[in-house]
Amino acid sequence: MPKVLRLNQGAEEGVKELLKFLLESGDTRGVLTLTKVDEGGGVAYSLVTDPKVLEDALPLFPLMPVNAGKVLSRITLIEPTDKPIVAVMKPCELRAFAELLKRSQGSLENFLFISSTCGGVYPLKTAISENIGEKLPQYWDAVKKGEILPEVRRNCTACTQFIPYTADMTVALIGNSDIEKQCEIYLNTSKAEEVVTGMTGEVSEQELNTEALETLRSRRKVQKDKLLDEVKDLDMEKVFGKCIGCRACSKVCPACYCHLCFFESPTSEHRALDYERELSKNGGVRVPLDTIFYHLVRLFHVSLSCVGCGQCNDVCPVNIPLGAVALKTAGAVQEAFDYVAGRSIEEELPITIFKPEEFAGVE
Amino acid sequence: MAKKIGVYVCECGTNIAEKVDINRVLTAVSPLKDVEVAQRYKLLCSGEGQDYLKQSIEEHNLTHMVVAACSPKQHELTFMNVCEKAGLNPYLFQLVNIREQCAWVTPDGEDATNKAIRQIRAAISRVHYHTALEKKEIECSPDVLVIGGGIAGIKASQLLATPERKAYLVEKTSSLGGKVRSFSKLFTNMESGLRLVEQEVESLQQNENIEVLTESEVEEILGFLGNFEVKVVNKAKDKELKFNVGAVVVATGFELFDPKGLPQYGYGKLDDVYTSLEFEEMSIADGHTKGKILLKNGKPPESVAIIHCVGREEKGYCSKVCCLYSLKFDRMLKSQLPGVKISHFYSDLCLPGKSYQRFYEDTKEIGATFIRSAKTGVTGNEKGLTIDYETEAGSKGNSAADMVILLPAMENSSDAQKFAEMLKIPLDEKNFFVEEHQLLSPVASAVEGVFVIGCARGPQSISESIVQSEAVAGKILSILVPGKKLELEARTSEISESFCTGCKTCIDVCPYGAITFNEARRISVVNQVLCHGCGNCAAACPSGAATLKHFTFPQIYQELAGVLRQECREKNRECNRKLI
Amino acid sequence: MSDNKQGATFPAEGGVREGSLDFIRQALSQGCFDAVLIPAKMPLSDSFAYALIEDESLLKDAYPLCPIMTVQGARVISALTRRGKGKKVLSAWLRPCEVRATVELSKLGQINLENIILISIDCPGVLPLADWAKEPEKTESAFSELVKGIDIEGVRPICQICDKFSATGGEDLHIGTIGMQDSLLLIPNSPKGRSILDNLGLQAAPDISDWQSQVDALTADRKKKREQAHKELESRAKGLDNLLHTFSTCINCHNCMRVCPICYCRQCFFDSDNSKFPFEDYLVRAEAAGGLRLPPETLLFHIGRMLHMSLSCVSCGACEDACPTSIPVAQVFSLVGSKNQKAFDYVPGRSADEPLPLRVYQDREFEEVEQSGARAPAPEET
Repeated sequence: MPKVLRLNQGAEEGVKELLKFLLESGDTRGVLTLTKVDEGGGVAYSLVTDPKVLEDALPLFPLMPVNAGKVLSRITLIEPTDKPIVAVMKPCELRAFAELLKRSQGSLENFLFISSTCGGVYPLKTAISENIGEKLPQYWDAVKKGEILPEVRRNCTACTQFIPYTADMTVALIGNSDIEKQCEIYLNTSKAEEVVTGMTGEVSEQELNTEALETLRSRRKVQKDKLLDEVKDLDMEKVFGKCIGCRACSKVCPACYCHLCFFESPTSEHRALDYERELSKNGGVRVPLDTIFYHLVRLFHVSLSCVGCGQCNDVCPVNIPLGAVALKTAGAVQEAFDYVAGRSIEEELPITIFKPEEFAGVE
Repeated sequence: MAKKIGVYVCECGTNIAEKVDINRVLTAVSPLKDVEVAQRYKLLCSGEGQDYLKQSIEEHNLTHMVVAACSPKQHELTFMNVCEKAGLNPYLFQLVNIREQCAWVTPDGEDATNKAIRQIRAAISRVHYHTALEKKEIECSPDVLVIGGGIAGIKASQLLATPERKAYLVEKTSSLGGKVRSFSKLFTNMESGLRLVEQEVESLQQNENIEVLTESEVEEILGFLGNFEVKVVNKAKDKELKFNVGAVVVATGFELFDPKGLPQYGYGKLDDVYTSLEFEEMSIADGHTKGKILLKNGKPPESVAIIHCVGREEKGYCSKVCCLYSLKFDRMLKSQLPGVKISHFYSDLCLPGKSYQRFYEDTKEIGATFIRSAKTGVTGNEKGLTIDYETEAGSKGNSAADMVILLPAMENSSDAQKFAEMLKIPLDEKNFFVEEHQLLSPVASAVEGVFVIGCARGPQSISESIVQSEAVAGKILSILVPGKKLELEARTSEISESFCTGCKTCIDVCPYGAITFNEARRISVVNQVLCHGCGNCAAACPSGAATLKHFTFPQIYQELAGVLRQECREKNRECNRKLI
Repeated sequence: MSDNKQGATFPAEGGVREGSLDFIRQALSQGCFDAVLIPAKMPLSDSFAYALIEDESLLKDAYPLCPIMTVQGARVISALTRRGKGKKVLSAWLRPCEVRATVELSKLGQINLENIILISIDCPGVLPLADWAKEPEKTESAFSELVKGIDIEGVRPICQICDKFSATGGEDLHIGTIGMQDSLLLIPNSPKGRSILDNLGLQAAPDISDWQSQVDALTADRKKKREQAHKELESRAKGLDNLLHTFSTCINCHNCMRVCPICYCRQCFFDSDNSKFPFEDYLVRAEAAGGLRLPPETLLFHIGRMLHMSLSCVSCGACEDACPTSIPVAQVFSLVGSKNQKAFDYVPGRSADEPLPLRVYQDREFEEVEQSGARAPAPEET
């Protein structure tokens, strides 16, 4: 039976207490978590080493300024850490990191991962135009009840992978009616059990209450189907025609890990004569070329590892429903290989392994 | 592969040990990442010291070495050689200067020790990122390029050319000899300049080790001492010639200041006002008057005025030889026209050296008047020319003359700017080439391998120019020994093909012309032979496509971090800039 | 603007759009150029993009004055000619800031202007991209009102303080519209521009003072607004703490860099390996201050970008449209750009022959920074 650490504080306070304990005990040298970075309300990830600075930590804040998996990849890419570090991330961020590990884009050596059953995050634009701090009671209320809060990201309302796969600790949030008074942290690995020894709090054995989770999952599935329906007949010109080629989607996406994107490399550059040839054929040609092509290729490259975080959607300046499109293509691709991005670090990428009986129906 | 860094701190006798607490330094740096051994030694540069280092490298199987001692200028090469002897690539080594930059300039011992620790820590951080670099060699060319076929260039070519060493003599006009060719007489022995030149040219042409390129101009020179790449173009035949030389001698000569800029002399407006060169050209046997000194109207002059110092005030210097050759003019005039009246108008008479005072006095005796005038002007009418003068005392006078000869200042040739840019040798504010050292190195320029002789360095006489030809030959003969090899700089720049976008900023800032543009691929490419490793391109490239070996961004960053982090910790600073 | 500018009038009874399209049609048929690069409506996606048009009939979708700036025009020309010129002669219909950026990019080897004729037009500004993305129809109709009189309500903040909305010096031909009733003023600025007028049989008249004085008046007004805005911004954004606050919501998406016409690097320094360090480095930095914001170097990216591009910044505002967290980046960059450009007495894009200040060495620059007496005396003549 799984072990649970119960702290007599509200969820966020409890996690903060845990992080403080870990730093002070010396078992951890640094904690990666969301923090307040500005009096004006800016929130960003930080690597915190001083317990005093943890006062500003917001570990369970419903915002994803960047996908933490991408951040972890960047800071462990050149050389892994030889000191113990704790990272607090959302389930999809953890999955994204797992996918990057499979491509040698980082290392999880000496890391301890804390995640939670996730109620979603607010869109970035909401964080700018409104004060999310003031919306928190509403947010936690929905989480408590296991309901979908319509104000969160579209992709979050449709996410059925909200239980983390590879976390060392999982904070039980969804459907937890005592969320303001009690913090329940499931200790999934022996490492997790070890580091909490000495902490004030009760460790007991307890089964995970799946009822609320299953209810939420089926509600989310309905939303997912709705969302997919909206992009059912994908008219690519209609959907991508607005694209201004800013490449923001690529830059924020954890699955887009290339140091130099194909579409930035010399190979993808067209010559004036190429344009003129198109011009002669059709009397007119859009400049620059490859608007739709870029998206097709990107989807082709990322779909296998897309975790549906919806970061792409949030940053698009012309409101292309990239989150929905990604969900559609990634869903289809991953289903075809019976693969879920990031559910296991050991599970190999389908396109890197050869199975003779795969897609036999196509032959 | 695991790194093993050896750290050695030199006592430098007492120079360092006296101020820096070396034991404390060793204690501080020993625990640092990958430090395999940290030791002190009395004098590392000594024979024993070098042996000790070599043994230590071998014993500990070191992969990198840091030595904390004196200035790299003094012993970087010494310790790099030790590395090589010990089988360690010399670029996996860093020398930290804790003598000139620490012990010698920090009064307090504790401060000095703390600083030394920081410096060495920085070097250890840096050396982690060093990569092995390969030293390359090329043969140096013993050949020489002489630019300018005047008397200085001719003499230099003769002295330099041997079977092992070729001299290329490039002259832009169709004949050799320069200005001296036009001098019918030379002071003080009054021999023929033309004949002197013809003699020299004949001997030159017999020398098969000299290649004479007339009607040709140097278009491009790239490179450095021992390895200059030269491009010469023959405009008449529309031909291009490329060759390599080891040294370049600039002997491009002089031009006269144009008196048209000084209307008070009437040059270019009044008839029969000539410059000295024009007078010389008139006097040579195969000139347009067949050597006869004549006025425009075809008659010989009865009175001649010679005006010195034309342009001296404007240029700000004395051209040294004009007074002397004006005395020569007196003799030329008197020998052809015994009755001619000659008057000199001068602001100062310049007669330096052992023979010239006598020359002057003898010339006065044959009949020439010398009038010291602060302000001289020439006016004219149908009757002839009038010279208005004003003595120092203030009394004004005038004098009539049929012909006026102006002695204008000597200037650097009009090609000076072109060669200054091409060879990157500086011109001073008088527009003459600057010597490497006014007293100690008069014929070398600031650029190694490039020399300047003759009037290109400043107004001077023929004999002085020839002295310089002999001097430059001596210099080149000793530096450029045939068969000698040149070591190329290993710490050169490279430009990543994938990241270069062809903006050419690096080409603009490269002082050595070492970067060229590949039009087909639209990228910039560094010539590894010409690159001096200055790093301008790496600094100027915004995307970091250009990098300098041994001074890469991570290396410099880590060195800085090594210094600053320690400082932060030492001062126990609580930075409130926590979340940048 | 010089006094000896001349302009020819071109009829535009149907308004600026119709008049411009008429001009283009005539120019195409007279062979002034083979094709025109102009913003056009993409019918299938109801959006705007630059299109290279050879076929006259496609001009019906062209919008000489487009309500939004999707891709900065200089980037578009760079996509066309970075690898070299083509065979056809193309005219590019651009806003003044796009012309200036184009000229800057040509100095950086990213644009080949040989077969390009740059045509600019008096610019009323553009609407914020985010507004248009939300309500396309509403904003488009607001824009057509805008075009009628250069009134700036509703345009992007950066456009409201733009004092270079008319001819800037780098164009071949400028279309003057301010105060022009029922006609356009065609003002050539180069042999390429003049030959267009010649081909169309148009005579340039010397008196453009009416239009010029209106432009001058509006320019003076905008200059005041600009100074005001800069002063106000400076007090809000100057100093490290204020800068940190201004950029506190930055998510390092680097959008601003990607849409900027001047940012021409294939790989930004801040995306390169030079900006990636071993974990230990980040930990040490975190320990020095108690914590380290991630992704690291958020502010450093912006400062670095300003260092690299501010001398060529044309205040086009593409960066601001692209920022997903609504940071007023264009305002900050424009302010820094203005000050830096002033220090070098440099106006980006006014002439293709004017070299970039950091690439040209001038003996007597910034003398006030050098210490007195630090120079060695010149050698004396022997």
